[in-house]
Amino acid sequence: MEALILAGGTILAGVFACTAWFWGANLALDLICPARGPQAGRNILRANMVRPWLFIGPAVLFLGLYLVYPVLKSTLMSFQDASGARFVGLANYRWLAGDAKFREAILNNFLWLLVVPATATFIGLVAAQITDRIRWGKFAKSMIFMPMAISFVGAGVIWKFIYDFRAEGLAQIGLLNAFWVWLGHSPQTWLTLPFWNNFLLMAVLIWIQTGFAMVILSAALRGIPEETVEAAILDGANPWQLFFRIKVPQIWGTIAVVWTTITITVLKVFDIVFVMTNGEWGTQVLANMMYNWMFRGAPDYGRGSAIALVIMALVTPMMIWNIRAARRETG
Amino acid sequence: MEGMAGRSARLTWAVNLAAALLVVLWVVPTLGLLVSSFRDRDQIAASGWWRAAFPATASSFVRAGTAADQVEMNGLWVIAGSVLAPGQGLQAWGTSARAPEAYAPGDVADLKAGAALTVAADGRYQLTSPTPFTEKRGLRIFVTTIAPPRATFENYARVIGAEGLGRAFLNTMTVTIPATVIPILIAAFAAYALAWMQFAGRALLLAAVVGLLVVPLQLALIPLLRLHNEIGLGKGYLGIWLAHTGFGLPLAIYLLRNYMAGLPKEIIESARVDGATEFQIFIRIILPLSFPALASFAIFQFLWVWNDLLVATVFLGNRPDQLVMTGVLRELLGSRGGDWEILAASAFISIAVPLLVFFALQKYLVRGLLAGSVKGG
Amino acid sequence: MKNNILCALMGGICAASGALAQDLKFPPGVDDRFDWASYDALKQIDLRGQRLTLLGPWLGPDKALVESVLAYFEAATGAEVVYSGSDSFEQQIVIDAEGGSPPDIAIFPQPGLAADLAKKGRLVPLPEGTRDWIKAHYAAGESWAAYGNYEGPEGARHQYAFPFKADVKSLVWYVPENFEDAGYDVPQTMEELKALTEQIVADGGTPWCIGLGSGGATGWPATDWVEDFMLRLNPPGDYDAWVANRLRFDDPKVIAAIEDFGWFARDDAFVAGGAGAVATTDFRDSPKGLFSAPPQCYLHRQASFIPSFFPEGVVVGQDADFFYFPAYADKDLGQPVLGAGTMFAKLTRNPAADAFLKFLESPIAHEVWMAQTGFVTPFKSVNTDLYGDETLHKMGDILLNATTFRFDGSDLMPGAIGAGAFWTGMVDYVGGKPAEAVAHQIQTTWDTLK
Repeated sequence: MEALILAGGTILAGVFACTAWFWGANLALDLICPARGPQAGRNILRANMVRPWLFIGPAVLFLGLYLVYPVLKSTLMSFQDASGARFVGLANYRWLAGDAKFREAILNNFLWLLVVPATATFIGLVAAQITDRIRWGKFAKSMIFMPMAISFVGAGVIWKFIYDFRAEGLAQIGLLNAFWVWLGHSPQTWLTLPFWNNFLLMAVLIWIQTGFAMVILSAALRGIPEETVEAAILDGANPWQLFFRIKVPQIWGTIAVVWTTITITVLKVFDIVFVMTNGEWGTQVLANMMYNWMFRGAPDYGRGSAIALVIMALVTPMMIWNIRAARRETG
Repeated sequence: MEGMAGRSARLTWAVNLAAALLVVLWVVPTLGLLVSSFRDRDQIAASGWWRAAFPATASSFVRAGTAADQVEMNGLWVIAGSVLAPGQGLQAWGTSARAPEAYAPGDVADLKAGAALTVAADGRYQLTSPTPFTEKRGLRIFVTTIAPPRATFENYARVIGAEGLGRAFLNTMTVTIPATVIPILIAAFAAYALAWMQFAGRALLLAAVVGLLVVPLQLALIPLLRLHNEIGLGKGYLGIWLAHTGFGLPLAIYLLRNYMAGLPKEIIESARVDGATEFQIFIRIILPLSFPALASFAIFQFLWVWNDLLVATVFLGNRPDQLVMTGVLRELLGSRGGDWEILAASAFISIAVPLLVFFALQKYLVRGLLAGSVKGG
Repeated sequence: MKNNILCALMGGICAASGALAQDLKFPPGVDDRFDWASYDALKQIDLRGQRLTLLGPWLGPDKALVESVLAYFEAATGAEVVYSGSDSFEQQIVIDAEGGSPPDIAIFPQPGLAADLAKKGRLVPLPEGTRDWIKAHYAAGESWAAYGNYEGPEGARHQYAFPFKADVKSLVWYVPENFEDAGYDVPQTMEELKALTEQIVADGGTPWCIGLGSGGATGWPATDWVEDFMLRLNPPGDYDAWVANRLRFDDPKVIAAIEDFGWFARDDAFVAGGAGAVATTDFRDSPKGLFSAPPQCYLHRQASFIPSFFPEGVVVGQDADFFYFPAYADKDLGQPVLGAGTMFAKLTRNPAADAFLKFLESPIAHEVWMAQTGFVTPFKSVNTDLYGDETLHKMGDILLNATTFRFDGSDLMPGAIGAGAFWTGMVDYVGGKPAEAVAHQIQTTWDTLK
């Protein structure tokens, strides 16, 4: 019982402190620069310059401390040796450039980037559209969303029950092999099939991320003003045209956001690869490679950080694209 | 008109069918886990989960009694007993691992030194010998049995009965709720500023947010833990809230800003004209209108924190009284893993709360409210 | 209440009720096979009110076992010992040590990681004399001591870790009755083992179950095979040179050891499921083939922990047994034993930690765990009658009688090799890549580390 009160108390204290800042800071600004009296004009101007930073200040503080600072630290470490004791210049990057496993990981990462965001976003979009049109839509949505709620460890077990291999003649406990044998083929060790095994791993992430895409896109689809849709129907648009010509362009911004988010998830994904193959049989990806160098056996922070910086560099096109999109909006 | 109605009926069918297909595809893997969570370890290893509903044939062996169990009957030494558990039926039996199905029920197998073994269809066996048995180790009788489908709640009982699960549930809640609410609050203000307020460096900040989305968590753990220790925060709830807030913020700001930027300009501008302060606009107009986005981010952040083990063990510690649910479930698995049945059951126990949250927030995921209220947006 | 909230906010430890004082598993003084004198001697150390934190890799039942040992230390000294286990121990200990909140004592499953942390100055050297104690009191003490002896940050070598709890790896598991039914004898030499393998195939059976799958650590079971062959084909000096890379990984001696493993694992007829299944079969699932009927295989080479993955109801000693993975008769290299062990190292200068290490040097610490399950020790002063079952006793004897004991080499190599390139290389090798190419690839990776 005491623990319960303690937990409740700490929850309240945490949330309260946060609310108090925004409310208090704004009140303080209004008191210091009142929008009344002789200097109202100057005060409003001044308050308008300060206020965005009141709003964004805590976020900037958090981002700076919890993300920018570690990134800077890692940048530094990527120029140091394994134990961070001395500077080695570009040695870690030179090592990367010559490492066969790194080339494999980069290629695989591009493959993932091509396949996963597109597939997950597309299926998510379709799922959002069709589940909004059927009576049991809520149920259907929950079912498609469910993989999101399962931890990676759980997901690993689930897919073990799908890709599992047993020797020919034994009862297959993997669904895929059971199906394959039923079709009259001999069982396959799916996860070792060169090249194709990458797609089997991607299937897991697509399975998880589709729920994310669906939830966000569904909200956006419902936000399309009814007038637009009604007008299109009166103009005689058929359902396909309605969807692809009218609705999709309207939510283009949200599709881009979902795409970006999944792309970034792909760059960071390591649990799936780690649990299922640990990057063997030609399935290595950058994030898993980074993890291995950072935490496996005797860790090498220099190399791990160098790989991390490569991952972060890969996101640059996404950043530029998003800035452009934001400029277009305001411009 | 009639043609149109026919077409729309067909379309409805097609949509229903497509939805059904998608749902089945997405549910089948999870269903496998659900079914497996009701099977014991040997069942999981023996047959596919989709066979769980059918009678299962299994081959195993049972040890006959030892010399200590023998009785003398009509000049013969006899060891008797049963090879079947309740509910099982006997298909075949044998006395050697190499020929486990050599005999049908009722057959008699001749063993060494005049001994004989017979197993009846009801599972009763009789091992006879003209001379006293001397074995200290019972003879292996291999049996091929057929058993009706069987579900076990043992896995769930073990998971729910795990020591400290209640405490861990409380700990998880204490971690998860503030770690969901705080980033949303902070991100909502930041997102509003990024979407609707004019200030220098706005585009740059936005780019930074996108860039920070990709920072791998593993990179940040050591510098941050060191920071927490140096400023005296140590390991505790405050530390883990701050950490989760930091890690969750980029996505929160990114999603919320995008959503808020899509709100109709007219509403905000007319409010400004009416003399509302930015704070009032934010609280009275933007927040209520952004509910779908807030709700969807809340779901994702909640899920993420709920299923997290890494951040919790680093920033909260893993002493028994600090463990979160994922930590306790992990303990059940033992040092070498591989207890698929426990993994399956615990996955379903830990999925319950996030699904509840999803159901509770699902109704807010609709933006219909707004669509009707603004004309010509 | 207010204080408590503050506490939870800041440290999360004030509200802790402390570790549960556990009942002692074997009441002191009752069973006179235990060395109670060594327990009573500990009572002179008074650590009441002190707290000692341990971080280790053991979870679940293993955690309960280690806690049953710790309880004796708590009872004797009055200290409060908090053990926490982590399934990602390697990551956890690095983060905690580097992040500035280390446990007092860490239990390393691999010396490699401990050596690395010692080099970085995160470990505190053990008291003088520990090294000599290990040499004098452990069977093959010289090797055991060496595995806890690392270079410090300033370059000088110290004893940083204390080995406690051993694993025997050179074991082959089998079902005795299946051997009897088929008329096979337990092989005494490697030549006989190879002949038996061929015999089983000739009789229409499949001799081996081999599984290398282990999620993120896939490949490791194969490294044990190769290490065992290194010890059976070459003198221990070569083994040490190989582990330190003074003997190159692509040396013909190493390639010969890899190929000896390949003789077993790359022949479709020798392995259940064929050679293709070796890499993907989970090591936890692979022993199950021994117990099916008809048997999928007759032999399974794995370390002493494997019975926990036997099917339910299998009784070790009756339904399953093991024999020593034999040496070549014509090599005259004695009876080498491959093993592993956990290393206890100090990360803080907490005086209770020193007392705890004294506790590990007392027979009672070993005997309490021996009398339960899953523990063997090379400590010569324990009463081996206390082993919880015949199997443990047999393993303990293998350890005590080893003419050569060598630690699992992959644990001693740099992490990028022993927990990386070596694993992946073995998976490639089983998949059909030539041994020379694999060995060369691993050596290339090793070269980049220098």
